Amino acid sequence: MQVPSEHLLILAAVLFAIGVLGFLVRRNVIVVLMCVELMLNAANLTFLAASRQHSIPGEPNLVGPVFAIFVIAIAAAEAAVGLALVIALFRLRQTTESDAMQEMEG
Amino acid sequence: MADQLWLWAIPALPLAGSLIAGLLYLLGIERRAAPAHGAHDAHGQHSAHGDSAAHAAAHAAGHAAAHAAGHAPSHDDHHDHASTPNKGSAKLAALVACGVMAGALALAIKGFFALRALPEGSERVLESTPWHWIAVTGFQVDISMVLDPLSSALCLVICGVGFLIHVYSTGYMKGDPGYAKFFAYLNLFVFAMLMLVLSSSLLGLFIGWEGVGLCSYLLIGFWYAKGWPAEAAQKAFVMNRIGDASFLVGSFMLVKLFGTLDLSDIVNSIGAMVRSGEHTTELMVAALLLFGGCCGKSAQFPLFTWLPDAMAGPTPVSALIHAATMVTAGIYLVVRLNPLFAASEIVLFVIGVVGALTALIGASTALVQRDIKKVLAYSTVSQLGYMFLALGSGAFAAAIFHLITHAFFKGLLFLGAGSVIHGMHHEQDMHKMGGLRKQMPRTFLTFLCGAGALSGLPLLSGFFSKDEILAHTFASGGAYRVLWAVGLLTAAITAFYTWRMVALTFFGEGRYDKKHVHPQESPAAMTVPLMVLAVLSVVGGALGLPVVFGVAHALNTWLEPVIAPGRDLILARHGGEAHHLSHAVEWALLGLGSAIALFFAHRGFHAYKAGIERDEGLARKRPGMFGFLGEAWGIDNAYTQRIVQPIKLIAFVTYVVIDQFVIDGAVNGTAALARTTGGGLRVLTDGRVRTYGIWIGGGAALVVFFWIWS
Amino acid sequence: MAEVFFYALSALAVLFALGVVLAKSPMMSVLNLLGSFFCLSVIYLLAGFQFMAAAQILVYAGAILVLFLFVIMLLNLGDISAHSTGFLGALRSTGAKIGVAVAVAIGLALLISVNLGMLGLKPAESLPDGIDGMTGIATELFGRYALPFEAVSVLLLATMVAVVVLAKRQRPGTDARKS
Repeated sequence: MQVPSEHLLILAAVLFAIGVLGFLVRRNVIVVLMCVELMLNAANLTFLAASRQHSIPGEPNLVGPVFAIFVIAIAAAEAAVGLALVIALFRLRQTTESDAMQEMEG
Repeated sequence: MADQLWLWAIPALPLAGSLIAGLLYLLGIERRAAPAHGAHDAHGQHSAHGDSAAHAAAHAAGHAAAHAAGHAPSHDDHHDHASTPNKGSAKLAALVACGVMAGALALAIKGFFALRALPEGSERVLESTPWHWIAVTGFQVDISMVLDPLSSALCLVICGVGFLIHVYSTGYMKGDPGYAKFFAYLNLFVFAMLMLVLSSSLLGLFIGWEGVGLCSYLLIGFWYAKGWPAEAAQKAFVMNRIGDASFLVGSFMLVKLFGTLDLSDIVNSIGAMVRSGEHTTELMVAALLLFGGCCGKSAQFPLFTWLPDAMAGPTPVSALIHAATMVTAGIYLVVRLNPLFAASEIVLFVIGVVGALTALIGASTALVQRDIKKVLAYSTVSQLGYMFLALGSGAFAAAIFHLITHAFFKGLLFLGAGSVIHGMHHEQDMHKMGGLRKQMPRTFLTFLCGAGALSGLPLLSGFFSKDEILAHTFASGGAYRVLWAVGLLTAAITAFYTWRMVALTFFGEGRYDKKHVHPQESPAAMTVPLMVLAVLSVVGGALGLPVVFGVAHALNTWLEPVIAPGRDLILARHGGEAHHLSHAVEWALLGLGSAIALFFAHRGFHAYKAGIERDEGLARKRPGMFGFLGEAWGIDNAYTQRIVQPIKLIAFVTYVVIDQFVIDGAVNGTAALARTTGGGLRVLTDGRVRTYGIWIGGGAALVVFFWIWS
Repeated sequence: MAEVFFYALSALAVLFALGVVLAKSPMMSVLNLLGSFFCLSVIYLLAGFQFMAAAQILVYAGAILVLFLFVIMLLNLGDISAHSTGFLGALRSTGAKIGVAVAVAIGLALLISVNLGMLGLKPAESLPDGIDGMTGIATELFGRYALPFEAVSVLLLATMVAVVVLAKRQRPGTDARKS
């Protein structure tokens, strides 16, 4: 594939922006969490694009994939905790709307 | 030489006594507090708790008596507490306090004989150094005790007079609610005083120095609930603090000069330093600074105004601390470091002038006082001035001689005055006394002995010591002749006011309210110490009979190793010749002293034998002079107006401007700023996750845009 | 050929991503997210990352998204649209409009920074064997990155405990806020 790495980065930027859009607009906590996953994926794509850019034949750069693996692991943890919180919230308020939690108002 | 560890027992005994008495006092408080809820309950509780029946009965009896005393009309506030229920523990405390004093006295006597058994000379020293306290490179302070002829003499005075005053206090303080506490403080004082005289280093001396100051503060303010004793205590503490600051700076200079705080090391190195001619100025400044400390502690001009106020304390305290021991600490210090002071003629002359001036101020003020304790207080100031006059003329042994005799007769006079005050139900105004010789014969006779010694009547102790001082001053020649004249004038005034006091108190008609006040002789616990001190006041002069009597001056011989370095320095300055008066001159001086004492004692006695008319006449005819003398030449008022009030004003201005406006303003302003900012910013935190997300995302976008543009 | 695939898959991934944001039902969001992840997985493959492509499918699609689905089904949110405000419904509030602006700003910022060539990227050379061979990844993970790797395992353990505590059903009578 002869695509320049810049195009991978553009794709990552677009996906990230969409993730931010959903995170900032949607009120359903589950969808908000999915948008976070989307942003994490965009970040992964950036790592991999950078790794691809810095690899030469016979001498691959593996820092990008390694950090992508860490990101995946942390994404899994984040999703698990986030969803557990969603369950707790639903038990308390019978809803998954993020605006239902406003107790920390200053 | 073997380590004389038992030396530590001398100060340790009073310390232990103090701790025990203090504990007993605290126990007594608890026990007193318990039945305060109600006598019936207390009785029941004690039985229920299985206390001995006798104990409970004692409590009940105590309560009954307390109620009776409370209802009976009484002029004497501290006799209201005559039957506090803690009698047992208080008695035990008094017993312990007197016991440890007896023990300390026995050890001091043992020390004296152990010292006498050693060969004469500079090796006549016992010491004990159990451990090093501070040891860094080039500087070492030991925890160390030294008993040499000087400290031995002072130990005997402190323990001896202290023991008698403890015994006296058991009678005088009877029924006071703070009975055990009083003995705890008194013992603590003796401990600190013994540390002061026994310590081998300037640092240990300073600990004792501060300790006696603390105890003095505690004991002056012993009846703090009355108000003015607390103020007097504060005044004493602050005035002493001024002197102590000077003392500390002087000590620092000595450390800088000699690299050690060990007193004997300092004394031994001064001679070489003086001969080398180096550091003359530093030595002089250090000596003057240390003398500043002495001025505070020994109530010398210009720091003497605290001592008359210190009479707010119980009378045994005045006798022990403010006449016999603590106030003589300054004299001890000068004698201890005598070569330092003798190294400079200027320092000696300053000491002499201050002493003479203080003696004159004190004596002239005592002339017109009405309060019997105030007379004695100003008399003490005056007599301490005499001692400094002696030091100033280089007569170190004479100063110690007068210190010892003064401890005897002034302690006696204070205790006698205390006995009178006790018998008069706490009346101190001599204008309201009179004719007490019939009611209080023992007090009267002993008081006569003390008065005779103070006024320098021939052959009594004060006569010899005062005469020796005056003879030395006279012999020093030059400007010292003026000081001698002042001293002689003071001696005349002293004889006058002493016998005025005797006449007003014990002679003439009783001027008290005869319906309510019935003076009576004090109990044996008080009169026996008076008798012992009276004997000592009479025969104490035997310690230092004049050379012309043809016998050796016992005290001079005894103190020789201590005072030799300083005396040698003075002699070296005068070309190795001592001032020697011919026998004829000495006899003449003795005769002059006797004549003046007798004449003015007679005048004073006769002027006041009949009553107080002379005082009233004087106040009418010369009100200006009367007031001037009555207020100690207006020095105290000058301090109040020139120093205390401006400082209070500055403090007030500082409080209002700097503290309330600047500092509080800054603190409150910071808080108000934070509160306002927070109030404004709390709108931003509406509790919605998305809003926070917007802040984060917006911030991130801004950061990236910033990178792009820069 | 591969380039055509890449651009097509990119467009598809973006579309699926938009679907996640715009779908009214959470269930549809999950399915759109799944589609987006698949597209990304193939893009990884095309870019030479075989292992990452597999991990993307296995971990994201296989584990995380199943977790989402599981929760949605557990809470029975799949068809109760009343519980969920869609994108357009949410857009009515001022906050959401600002949110759109911020998202656009972030996207613009990223695109500008890429397109300005600040990173100075050139077309990469072809790597026929791929980049992330298993051996290389394993060597890195258990060599240079052993400590972060172990830290992540601890993090996962802690997460597991946290999730159990958070999601545990409260016994009646106990205070929910205490657990």
